[in-house]
Amino acid sequence: MNTARILLRSQCVRCLAPFARTTHLQAVLSNGGLAHCSLGLSSTGVQQVHRAFHASSRYDKNQPVPSTLRGSEEDGNKDKSLVAHDDLFERAGKEAKNKATFNKVVEVFNKRDVRRRGHVEFIYAALKKMPEFGVERDITVYNKLLDVFPKEVFVPRNFIQRMFNHYPRQQECAVEVLEQMENHGIMPNVETKVLLVQIFGPKGHPVRKYQRLMYWFPKFKHANPFPVPHELPADPVDLARFSLTRIANDMDTRVTVYQMPYTDITETGEEVQEPHIVGIQSPDQQALLAKHNPSKPVFVEGPYPLWLRRTCVYYYVLKADPVPPEEKVEEYMDLELVGPQQSIHYPLWIDMDLQRDMGDDFSFNVDDVEEGAIYAMCMAGQGDQVTLARWIAGLQETNPILGRIPTVFRLESGPRELQDLTEPQRPPGADMEAEHSSEPDHVMDQQLGGQRVKQ
Amino acid sequence: MAASRTGHLLLARLLGTSTKQLVWASASPFWSVPRRGYWRPGQPRERKWLWQRINFDFAKGVDGVRKNVGLLKDEFLQRWVGPEGKPLLEHMLEQTRVLWEFRGPESLNQWLVSSDREIGGRSEVYLKLGRNNNTCLLYGTLCSAPPRDGETRYSGYCTMRSEQLRASFDRKKHHDVSNFNTLHLRVRGDGRPWMINIGVENYFHHQRDDIYSYFLYTRGGPYWQDVKIPFSKFFLATRGRIQDDQHCLLLDKMNTIGFTLGDKADGPFQLEIDFIGVCNDPAHTEDFAYEVYKRNPEV
Repeated sequence: MNTARILLRSQCVRCLAPFARTTHLQAVLSNGGLAHCSLGLSSTGVQQVHRAFHASSRYDKNQPVPSTLRGSEEDGNKDKSLVAHDDLFERAGKEAKNKATFNKVVEVFNKRDVRRRGHVEFIYAALKKMPEFGVERDITVYNKLLDVFPKEVFVPRNFIQRMFNHYPRQQECAVEVLEQMENHGIMPNVETKVLLVQIFGPKGHPVRKYQRLMYWFPKFKHANPFPVPHELPADPVDLARFSLTRIANDMDTRVTVYQMPYTDITETGEEVQEPHIVGIQSPDQQALLAKHNPSKPVFVEGPYPLWLRRTCVYYYVLKADPVPPEEKVEEYMDLELVGPQQSIHYPLWIDMDLQRDMGDDFSFNVDDVEEGAIYAMCMAGQGDQVTLARWIAGLQETNPILGRIPTVFRLESGPRELQDLTEPQRPPGADMEAEHSSEPDHVMDQQLGGQRVKQ
Repeated sequence: MAASRTGHLLLARLLGTSTKQLVWASASPFWSVPRRGYWRPGQPRERKWLWQRINFDFAKGVDGVRKNVGLLKDEFLQRWVGPEGKPLLEHMLEQTRVLWEFRGPESLNQWLVSSDREIGGRSEVYLKLGRNNNTCLLYGTLCSAPPRDGETRYSGYCTMRSEQLRASFDRKKHHDVSNFNTLHLRVRGDGRPWMINIGVENYFHHQRDDIYSYFLYTRGGPYWQDVKIPFSKFFLATRGRIQDDQHCLLLDKMNTIGFTLGDKADGPFQLEIDFIGVCNDPAHTEDFAYEVYKRNPEV
């Protein structure tokens, strides 16, 4: 501790030596005190004023604070009582919790003290409050928060300071800010780098963390082959359209909106909210359904969850049971169309063994999982049998065979195949479809007793 | 720099490591070494002596001897068929290999599931066989409320990790996948992003928490998804923190593979896995996807 003080003192002496003209200063320096550079230097220029930060308050007692350093009295902060930094945010949050009020709180703190006393605690409190104010994804707010640190004070000035983790608490605080940025996936910008270099110098831990962010984030930014945008469509029909095209796995699918959400007025005069029904089907699925054996039933199963970042939507599936091998019908193809007599210019079926090499076999030695065909999918505002029956009726227009096939509804609340029928699963908290959200008692209509063959 | 304790202790669990207590050499005598592993804040710190930790049970001993002698016999006879029990030509020329598949309840014994319940969180995770005993289903609920022990800051993860392969008498055995360069998975998720962690056999003590990871993005939906990830894409991370000095994943001594879910979306999740295999993609010529040279010059 003494060595540090001696070092600082010697630095001060060295830097003040050219200015040690006044007797006052010489007296101060001969005392060995670190104070009051400000008195002697305020006459020489503004740029030495910030050196006063190095002075400890012990030496401040008898010296009046010069007017340049005294902060302007801002409204409401004249009392010097001990106020936790959280209270500032609480008070500001009473009117509105948005970016403007958050910035205002930070500015109030900045203006309160040019030395920024307690800035570390303030920044920690601000980081905790950011999600409440809704600014955790805003890079300008993070930069403003980093701006709270006093500049150039924490920059190490020689190799010993660099070695010994200069101002570790402040460095840790800045790394926490960057870590919260990393957790939310926000890329820092050049202003962040400039701020960090100004505050901590080019080789501190915060700058290293920044460099790591700038190295790894671009590498993984586009790693997701199925990216989900941050702003999902607010309209449930658009959201359903987006999610259905996402899970359809086919470029030829057609999305059909069978019913838009509307308010129906019944005979008794009460209003009933009718949900939306959005379905999707591809021509391949239509062809498969047309070939379905009418004696076997098709099943409407659901709801199955689909997660898009933080929201969970549910979809229903129209599918059939897997066909046992003895009942598989061989495809009969017209020899004129696919045999050797077919047209060379417009061939319907080519049988060529295209392999890169003799003996390349990239198949895996596992049995295929037998699953039934999926004929269509839909998303609806409510998961009850009435709504889904309307979906089937709508599907019947493009697939007339549905009129002859018995349809069985296997609807179960909560995620499928997770628990037994006796234990209803609690649905997730964040759910865009409000009609769907915390209603665990869906219709459990299982007309086939016995086992549940989930798809 | 004082790294926050919360960070590295919690993220150790993110790697899917189970709470195995391993003996390590230290200054204290070997018969009373402290437990290695995560110490949950608030638990009493007891020191168990070596003889207290070993389970001296006759029936278990007999079972153990029988199992190990059986494995030893298999090992002796297997070498007459070929390396790793397969004929030599098949072993040399195969271009795909299935490492884990889920055909029957005994396949679930090869996997360990873990969640942040160990550190006091509230997530649940279960593993069971899917329909027709053909696939496995990892399901549960994620809850990212951190445990209130004053130390832990982040929480909300669930993992599934394969067990270490054992030869006779509990010797470690490794997966040798050096003939292959791509990991092939057939999964059906619910749209959540998972992380695949591969643990390899290391020589040095400092490398014991080294895990090679990459992301598994599921599309969601009722269709199966084939995921092919070349081994050159796996980056090195220790205790959940990505490292500055990267090097390629060495394939000759792969120990474990694990799946971790840690996206901060609270709610139920599920992941169905059909099989996990490796294959050789001749068109993939990349050695390593990240820079190996020294990027941050010394301070």
